[in-house]
Amino acid sequence: MSASVLRAGSLRRVVNPPLLLIFLFASPLHAQTLQDGDTLWKAGRYKEANEIYLGLATLHPENVEYRVRLGMLSLDYGYPDQAEGDFEKALEIKKDDPHALLGMAMAAAELYEGKAAELAHKALEADPKLVDAQALLARLALEDSNNTLASEEARKAIAMDPNCVQAKAVLASLDWLADKKDTPWDPHDARGYLTVGHFFMLNRRYEEAIAYYRKAIALDPNLYPARSELGINLMRLGQNDEAYRQLENCFDNGFKNLPTTNTLKLMSSYDRFTTFKTDSTILVLAKKEADLLHPYFQSEMERDIAAYEKKYRMKLTRPVQVEVYPDHEDFAVRTLGMPGLGALGVTFGYVVAMDSPSGRPPGSFHWASTMRHELSHVFTLTMTGSHVPRWFTEGLAVHEETAASPEWGDRLGLDEIAALKNHQLLPVTGLDRGFVHPVAPPQIVVSYFQAGKICDYIDEHWGWDTLLAMLHDYAANAETGDVIRKELKIEPAEFDKRFLAWLDPQVKTQVEHFDEWKEGMKTVHAALAKKDYDAVLRDGPRLRDDYPDYVEAGNLYEALARAYTEKGDQAAATRQLDRYVHIGGRDPETIKLLARQLVDAGRPKEAAEVLDRLNYIYPEDREMHQMLGGLWFDAGNAPGAIREFGAVLADKPLDPAQAHYDLARAYHLNHQTDRAKDEVLAALEIAPGFRPAQKLLLQLSANEASGTSHRK
Amino acid sequence: MKTAALLLLAALAAPATTFYVTISGLGGEPDYDQRFKMWAEDIASSLKKAGGDSNVITLEAPTREQIRARLGEVAREAKPADSLVLMLIGHGSFDGVEYKFNIPGPDITGAELAELMDRIPAARQCVVNMTSSSGGSIEFLRKPNRVVIAATKTGTEKNATVFARYWAEALRDPAADVDKNESISALEAFRYAQHKTTEFFDTNKRLATEHSVLEDTGKGEGSKDPNPEAGEGRLAAAFPIVRLGANAEAARDPAKRPLLAEKEQTEQAIDQLKYNKAAIPAAEYKQQLTQLLLRLAKVQEAIDKP
Repeated sequence: MSASVLRAGSLRRVVNPPLLLIFLFASPLHAQTLQDGDTLWKAGRYKEANEIYLGLATLHPENVEYRVRLGMLSLDYGYPDQAEGDFEKALEIKKDDPHALLGMAMAAAELYEGKAAELAHKALEADPKLVDAQALLARLALEDSNNTLASEEARKAIAMDPNCVQAKAVLASLDWLADKKDTPWDPHDARGYLTVGHFFMLNRRYEEAIAYYRKAIALDPNLYPARSELGINLMRLGQNDEAYRQLENCFDNGFKNLPTTNTLKLMSSYDRFTTFKTDSTILVLAKKEADLLHPYFQSEMERDIAAYEKKYRMKLTRPVQVEVYPDHEDFAVRTLGMPGLGALGVTFGYVVAMDSPSGRPPGSFHWASTMRHELSHVFTLTMTGSHVPRWFTEGLAVHEETAASPEWGDRLGLDEIAALKNHQLLPVTGLDRGFVHPVAPPQIVVSYFQAGKICDYIDEHWGWDTLLAMLHDYAANAETGDVIRKELKIEPAEFDKRFLAWLDPQVKTQVEHFDEWKEGMKTVHAALAKKDYDAVLRDGPRLRDDYPDYVEAGNLYEALARAYTEKGDQAAATRQLDRYVHIGGRDPETIKLLARQLVDAGRPKEAAEVLDRLNYIYPEDREMHQMLGGLWFDAGNAPGAIREFGAVLADKPLDPAQAHYDLARAYHLNHQTDRAKDEVLAALEIAPGFRPAQKLLLQLSANEASGTSHRK
Repeated sequence: MKTAALLLLAALAAPATTFYVTISGLGGEPDYDQRFKMWAEDIASSLKKAGGDSNVITLEAPTREQIRARLGEVAREAKPADSLVLMLIGHGSFDGVEYKFNIPGPDITGAELAELMDRIPAARQCVVNMTSSSGGSIEFLRKPNRVVIAATKTGTEKNATVFARYWAEALRDPAADVDKNESISALEAFRYAQHKTTEFFDTNKRLATEHSVLEDTGKGEGSKDPNPEAGEGRLAAAFPIVRLGANAEAARDPAKRPLLAEKEQTEQAIDQLKYNKAAIPAAEYKQQLTQLLLRLAKVQEAIDKP
């Protein structure tokens, strides 16, 4: 989706400032006031309200209030970036204007930026009576799952203004999130319910979020931000018909912000997708790649669900839906308005949306690992009624990735090493903050790493049953501190200390030698460029072992393999590439190179196993399927050969006759004569003179005639 | 394919030469110079390995005069029964009026290349212009009985192209021989190179800056997806660029002529059946196709017997 499309609904585009100036001077509009704008805004007439505010701000560039109002309108319309620009301009007019500072804080909060609280405090310093800033602090604390602080901040706001809707909404949310139905803090206000809906959405309790958005629009049908959220969350749960109607209602009434427009656009393109259903799964794939991906995704999805049902000791009550998007922009629409990094997958109850491997550069994305991660959320959220805190569900999901295979999941990255070096890991009771309000984007990655390691640690020292017990505690609304005390029998601070002590030996080498490794890499690569292979072989192994997780571009496994090859030691080169693959290296070309070397070395079975990894990383690689199909065929693995040659055919090959013929051979090997014959006929229909296919056809017919055919 | 079979028989009746002229232009920088030279050499190597009665000429960064002289020689040597394949690799330009192939010294224009080709008596000609802006040369080069392939749809696609890399690959990859008749036709090579070029841009997540086309009606703009049934690509489908197999040798044995005739008849029947596929119930179609394919397989088995 192009940037211009993404901006299509921007309020600023609805009016042309120079024209507006002429209009203002020449018409009665100059008599319009801030109050007129406010009235229109309240009525959901954003475009007209914007015209008035923009006109006033243009006519009175020194007026802070007009500029702030413009920003607040943009914020409400769903454009925090644009709003930030207005608040910055307001602060240029008056550097400590409390409302402009509040606006900056609100915009940062919308963008889940760590600076939001600091800005809210500044606004309060500028105006200690600014109750909205106080209420915002309560909201931010609750977003971080810091319930105690959220309650304190909200009560301060109530003390400043007993009718503060947003503070009441925070206090009511605290009760409702804890399943306390009766609360004295019910805001009885549309915007209050919009806020409550936000907290339920944030806690992945989408159905309850939807209920609060409904309450909001029941009280104020013109509150389009709530209607838009309702539509988006209905879409997230797969309730597409009503979702589309609600979003269309927003759009038709002039509420055309980015999430509304893009979600409508995505939903309009659903005919590009096709759905495969079983009793326990719904798989939605783009038509253009459905034939290729279906066998791999289907079997992996079923394997994951079966594994989790056993591990989590529960049965899902309805089918899980996995949607796979080849266009990352389509997937991005699914994550709009949600905290976190540019994710690879996201889970909404029983619905998982994820990138397709074709949507990412080859080798940069392990789709099976991502799917395993997301499907674990389906279980942890279901088990706990979505009461599990973000850090724990993410931690378990990361833990599950490497539990499936040590090669899966993420390797120790540069951000994590920097955080470890600078002692920036968060205490376990505050770890949610790293996901929701990171001080900088890398903190999200680091938080995933930390949460995953914490779950590894608990699993290792207290056992899987303890992790399950913790999930049950969360289901009963317990807080992290209490859960740790109850299940691990230690104080959270002590847990943090022991966890770090456990983690330290695993990362010590990487952290301590990181600077040395960085310098050494330069030297080794300079030697490689100069073809000084002796120097590469002298210094490379030590550096490789200083940071064995480094498998990205320029990694030492490949550098060493090249050096060994140049020195004529092919076996040593193969060993380096083998290490690369086993530690989680994912570059398709390198994996194929290793497979070829193993074939050359007379190790076809290992070559097939190495290549099979690529099916979970980049199944769009036709060369891999062709090669793997041949290896499985030669090894007598007929089902494997059928799957791989089937993939070649599904990928619209350049040589369809050969692809049909290969598949026919595989079916023949598997004694599926009828299917073999269908495929060989398909090959010969394209290429009647194709000799090997002719021979197979004659053989199949002869078998049929002599009654020696097998049917399966 | 029926057309290919007819062509083969025609070739046997009147042996003819195919003149292959590959010209790599000026790269402008070492990287491109090297690439253009490498692709031209790759093509020449495939053509020489394929054998047959061919005359393979490769010119690396020639001047305009050298091109004129060499094509002049071909014009003198070639006979009407012969074929000509001209392949251009390098950078091209188009100013809205004139196409130019970039070479050392003055560039050579599309009109000039057309004039040089027109002088060559070989009745069947194929020109594969793989330069940037090559789409701008189609209007000059197109002519009845001539296949024109361009790496770009129009003269305005000015980025350096990768089509030549995959065209060279097509001439040595048996996978390009989609109908398995042991000959890679101009249409098969075009489709192979086009497919690989598209994949190149897709895999690298880059916006495609070239869209190859083929023109063989003598009057069109070039089609991205030529369909012989609709009249585009018919000539290209019957224009073998490289012969891979042993069919030609087998066919020289007079004892096998009746088998070849039967083979040709069966191939024609298969083509006819395929043509009528939509009008025949699926089960009946499958049964008839099976019978014909079995007959063809048996005839081929007999032909292949020493």
